[in-house]
Amino acid sequence: MEYFLQQLINGITLGSVYALIALGYTMVYGIIQLINFAHGEFFAAGGYVGVIFMSYLLSQGAPAWVCLSGSLILAMAYCAMLAVAVEKVAYKPLRNSSRLSVLLSALGMSIFLQNGLMLTQGVYDKAYPTELTQGGFEMGNVMLSYMQLFIVSLTAFLLVALNVLVFKTRIGKAMRSTAQDKVMSALVGINANRTISITFAIGAALAAAAGIMVGLYYGSVRYDMGFVPGIKAFAAAVLGGIGNITGAMIGGFIIGMVEIFAAGYISGEYKDVFAFVILIAVLYFRPSGIMGENVDDTRV
Amino acid sequence: MTIPEFKKHWTSLGIGMVWLFILLWPLLGIKPEGLEVASTFNVWWRIALGCSFLLFLYQLNKAGAFKFISRPAGAVAGSMKSATSMVPMAVWFVIGIACTALIPQFAGRYAQDVAINCMIYVCLGLGLNIVVGLAGMLDLGYIAFYGIGAYTYALLSVQFQLSFWICLPISAGMAGLGAWLIGYCSMRMRGDYLAIVTLGFAEICRMVLNNWMSLTNGPNGVTGIKAPGLYWFDFTNGMTLEHIWLKKLSLIYYVILILVVFTIIAVYRLQHSRIGRAWEAIREDETAAEVMGVPTFYMKLLAYCSGACFGGMAGAFYAARMRFVSPESFTFLESAMVLSMVVLGGMGSIPGVILGALALIALPEIFREFELYRMLVFGGVMTLMMLFRPQGMLPSKRTMRSGKD
Amino acid sequence: MKRLFMTVLLAAAVIMLGSGMAFAKTLKIGTMGPLTGPYAADGVDIKNGVLTAVEVMKANGGIPGFDAIEVLPQDTACEPRQAVATANKLINEGVKGVVGSYCSSATLPASEVLDEESIVMITPASTNEKVTSRGLEYMFRMCGRDDDQGAIAVKFMLDKVKAKSIYLVDDKTSYSQGLADGVEKMSAAAGIKVLGHEHVNQGDKDFSAILTKVKQQNPDVFYMSMQNSATGALMLIQARRMGIKATVLAQDAVYHPQLIEIAKDAANDVYLTFGFIDDNAPAYKEFYSAYQPKFGNPGAYSGYAYDSAMAYMMAVKAAGSTDPAKVKAELMKLDYDGATKHVKFKENGDSGSNYIIRKVENGKFLNYWNPATGELY
Repeated sequence: MEYFLQQLINGITLGSVYALIALGYTMVYGIIQLINFAHGEFFAAGGYVGVIFMSYLLSQGAPAWVCLSGSLILAMAYCAMLAVAVEKVAYKPLRNSSRLSVLLSALGMSIFLQNGLMLTQGVYDKAYPTELTQGGFEMGNVMLSYMQLFIVSLTAFLLVALNVLVFKTRIGKAMRSTAQDKVMSALVGINANRTISITFAIGAALAAAAGIMVGLYYGSVRYDMGFVPGIKAFAAAVLGGIGNITGAMIGGFIIGMVEIFAAGYISGEYKDVFAFVILIAVLYFRPSGIMGENVDDTRV
Repeated sequence: MTIPEFKKHWTSLGIGMVWLFILLWPLLGIKPEGLEVASTFNVWWRIALGCSFLLFLYQLNKAGAFKFISRPAGAVAGSMKSATSMVPMAVWFVIGIACTALIPQFAGRYAQDVAINCMIYVCLGLGLNIVVGLAGMLDLGYIAFYGIGAYTYALLSVQFQLSFWICLPISAGMAGLGAWLIGYCSMRMRGDYLAIVTLGFAEICRMVLNNWMSLTNGPNGVTGIKAPGLYWFDFTNGMTLEHIWLKKLSLIYYVILILVVFTIIAVYRLQHSRIGRAWEAIREDETAAEVMGVPTFYMKLLAYCSGACFGGMAGAFYAARMRFVSPESFTFLESAMVLSMVVLGGMGSIPGVILGALALIALPEIFREFELYRMLVFGGVMTLMMLFRPQGMLPSKRTMRSGKD
Repeated sequence: MKRLFMTVLLAAAVIMLGSGMAFAKTLKIGTMGPLTGPYAADGVDIKNGVLTAVEVMKANGGIPGFDAIEVLPQDTACEPRQAVATANKLINEGVKGVVGSYCSSATLPASEVLDEESIVMITPASTNEKVTSRGLEYMFRMCGRDDDQGAIAVKFMLDKVKAKSIYLVDDKTSYSQGLADGVEKMSAAAGIKVLGHEHVNQGDKDFSAILTKVKQQNPDVFYMSMQNSATGALMLIQARRMGIKATVLAQDAVYHPQLIEIAKDAANDVYLTFGFIDDNAPAYKEFYSAYQPKFGNPGAYSGYAYDSAMAYMMAVKAAGSTDPAKVKAELMKLDYDGATKHVKFKENGDSGSNYIIRKVENGKFLNYWNPATGELY
């Protein structure tokens, strides 16, 4: 039982990270039907910028909470700007071309950004300060570290904030209507280009938050760290029903859990196989994901 | 070119450059020791200057400053085009093959090696072209079939000492079988769901190859694979037939050349057959095709399997040429690479795919001089190519309507 | 047509003559290693080690008969296809000696290509047994071998830790898994109970599931066989956070300054098998003083790469040419104290292993236990 509980905690933590990244995929897909391959790179860039700001603030003698929240906010803002730049340069001119050419442009951007990070930050891992992340609760043999608690609660907060943003504000309404019909929403006075940029910015900001959490929790970031979680999060987004925000959250948690439980109970080397087999099986029985993609209200 | 337009261009360039500086600065300028601007500025002004110069050229071109060059050049290009179109395609094809066949006589080892890699990817690209370019299905896991083919030949050669020429069809068949298995459960899915399923399948394949120690030797890879063999005349004592191993690069070059020619002809014939027209109908509008009596499910499955067969063939050759296979060669990045060749070259067009493969294999090799900047430049060029020619370098004549599912 | 052919031939002859003349004056040394991709850190270390060796050689008067020594670094990305491509490229460039590569999966196919052209290859880092067991004529190895390393690890567990049980984790590369398999077999034979042997995949960051398993099994020794030191560091952080009390034993690829930089306090009290390096030896000091100002602290394989390049250049110097047979003969004659080890090649190209146990204490790697004597340093 203790073993199960511990694995459950592990699964929820990993699932939170996947859910945050998957949201970016799903929002961008919902609004312009693009698999944004560069999204994993936003995640990596967020992790890097986070550690840069954090070590700077620490060296200036700022208290721990200022370091954490300051670098979190700055990194999210940075990635939002990066995403808007990528969108304007690489995707916007291709808005009316075939979807595959945008896909390829995204792939090119992904390679470009990854190597840009490598050139500016070096090939070595960059370590996060560990003094902020010590300690935890111990209940019998079950460990719940403060970091895990931090990750899960921050994720929950961001998810709630995102839901409020999408369903309760004007900009959320604009996003939903642009996702449904670009031409019609333009006719009623919604600026489609601006809405798309905002969607990119929000998705990338969430990825940046995930990047910082990963860096803090696991201890380091590396320039190519966006790739594997990127693919998993993409799978998670599709599993939930791509374009569907609730679906992406659920998909993220499912992929995280499956991975942890497969590694914990069956075999560590085949854990990704299980994740993908579950994905294929779900899609076989529900060809448009768990939540389905055409639940109009939740599509962004 | 109007004045407001002119102003607008420079304003957006200005905003872009400020934006770029803000993006660059945290990466280069913020260090625990303190903040500095000099190093960021050093990188930034070069980029800014280059971009301004390009914009300047672009505006001059728009304003017609280069007409004195572009007009005669356009005329020459036009007359060249009409002259080349006089000669039938088949003649160009033969000339192309003849030139390619001569390469090993002149080129060094390195060029031969790059040429062989190019041709492997031509096979792969043409195979994927059936799935993506003709039938219009997005496949992100094509490399799995390449891997299946490679391992099939590797294991048959090492365990049973079977000859390359026997294994070639077996490898193609195994890849086709794998495609049938995964295609049968996923062909009903639409566009991007199919993409993730194929991606997942490729990852599963790679992990099984990496983890099934008793069969594939896991990450250690399979060594001791035989090169293709051939019976050739031996003139030392009279004329006898002797078995030789095609180990030398210049000899194995011709094996892949034959495979490429075979693939080109096969794909060409497929494309212009009844089946090919059915595929193109599915690509343009699946519902309409179904209504017109095209069995869409089986046609898509057929496209998927036949594409995979070419991949398997290329894989068998890869194993025979490297004489070593390991799962590292079959990652998602390779799938993306092959897909890029198809899209970059021009979907559905055979010369386009060939050109795409040449570009994507030769470019990183040329960029080797840039060392660490190699992949950076490569990624940038890929995006730029798409921005300037979204339909690919040599798009097919029967273009796609929109490229939607 | 005939005239055209003659012109081409003439041009080719001139080019060949030209390059031949240039060749007589410059000694070209190729390096192969992953300069991009997940193992880029180690590939860069190897390149830097070779560059340092060339600098030192030049400072000591260079090689008579060669005006310049040029290093051609090539990126294999640890991938067989690129490794073969770079090998062919180096052959084209007229290189006669290559230092590399890092991953065994790149070294194995590349060495076959290089050996066909009789090019000397010295690997500073590929410890897989197969590298030298294939009977290649011009294949040499500066580092130790996996089977020797495993034996030392087991000896340490038996004699020093007095372990009763062990849990192994590797990250599925030909090197890391091969080593872990060897340790598993030898431990079982020596009577240590193997509680489990798990594998993680490349690029994983989350090991919580597997570490929970380890904690539940509660072994005496936790053996970590990672290809990448940064991955090792991540696993260490998570293991310490999880509260795993076992003695942590790792191998030479985990050995890297990165381990301490990333894991910080979590790296303390980790034991590693690594080749014996005498920090006070004059050759090591010479290497360190040339390397450190330019490239920072040496990585795990910088020293071996330095010695590999040094050995090759000394052999060329002694042979007076780059003729492979002569260079090989001179390489076999070498018998001197290098920066990292005593260099003396055996018949199969190995230079012997001298693994010891090192330990991380207060953020520093220290020599800890000598298996030959069973004494602490």
